Amino acid sequence: MSETTAGGTPREVDAWRFTGSFLKNLLSSRIPDEPAYADIPWTPVSKPLSESKLALLSTAGLSMQGDPPFDMEKERQNPTWGDPSWRPLRSDATSETIEANHLHIDTGYILRDLNVALPVDRLRELVSEGVVGSMAETHYSTMGFQGNDTSELEQKSAPEIARSMQSEEVDLALLAPV
Amino acid sequence: MIEAAGIPTVTLNMLWPYQKLVGMSRVAAIEHPFGRPYGDVGDAKLQREVLLAALEVFERARQPGHVEHLPFVWPDPPKQTKWHPAEPSPIIALLQKRRKG
Repeated sequence: MSETTAGGTPREVDAWRFTGSFLKNLLSSRIPDEPAYADIPWTPVSKPLSESKLALLSTAGLSMQGDPPFDMEKERQNPTWGDPSWRPLRSDATSETIEANHLHIDTGYILRDLNVALPVDRLRELVSEGVVGSMAETHYSTMGFQGNDTSELEQKSAPEIARSMQSEEVDLALLAPV
Repeated sequence: MIEAAGIPTVTLNMLWPYQKLVGMSRVAAIEHPFGRPYGDVGDAKLQREVLLAALEVFERARQPGHVEHLPFVWPDPPKQTKWHPAEPSPIIALLQKRRKG
């Protein structure tokens, strides 16, 4: 594992700055002393950003209005379950055309400005300036809380998202857990 | 899974220590409150800077598991930064109930 800091600043990000002690203890207790994985997947970047097609993914439980929303009722009934499905988001999505269903954050900010979690407007600006080659037709959302079982997310949703990105010839994917 | 399918990924992540749990290919660690990884409502300048900084990690990372700490500082102190839902999430409510129980 390599760790560097942008701009030469030696400061390490404090992952627990906003969590409070209860959540810090809960979340940090899940982190193993040694890496829990065998290998990290790696695909080298093959072309400059200015020639690349970029897709965004958020774990904010976003869905287009009219599409089935992420299932919050089932999670309320079973607190250790989280909806493992995914939703496609149109590249022209805005706060007015999406829903945000996620019981672990205040989704009000996203409903006022989608760019706080899925910066489609900012990406569009970078494409128009030539900094980024193009924007995928589709962006993606999952719902970040997966409870005790991540198998459906890993074995069904993630491969489906990957295939959708491949079908649109996406070059790079920027993922943002919320 | 996306990376394994041939598409390079960067994960913009507040909980970057989870790298040890899940093994992310490239991490852009950010010290922002949950729900607003790219910046605050209406702050297009910060959203743009964070997006650009995360995209630059694609160009700098040379090996799997690369973690880069972005230099952004959230303007408000934690006590004045609201991110929690109006009601505790079901799992938090359950755990708090058990702890009191």
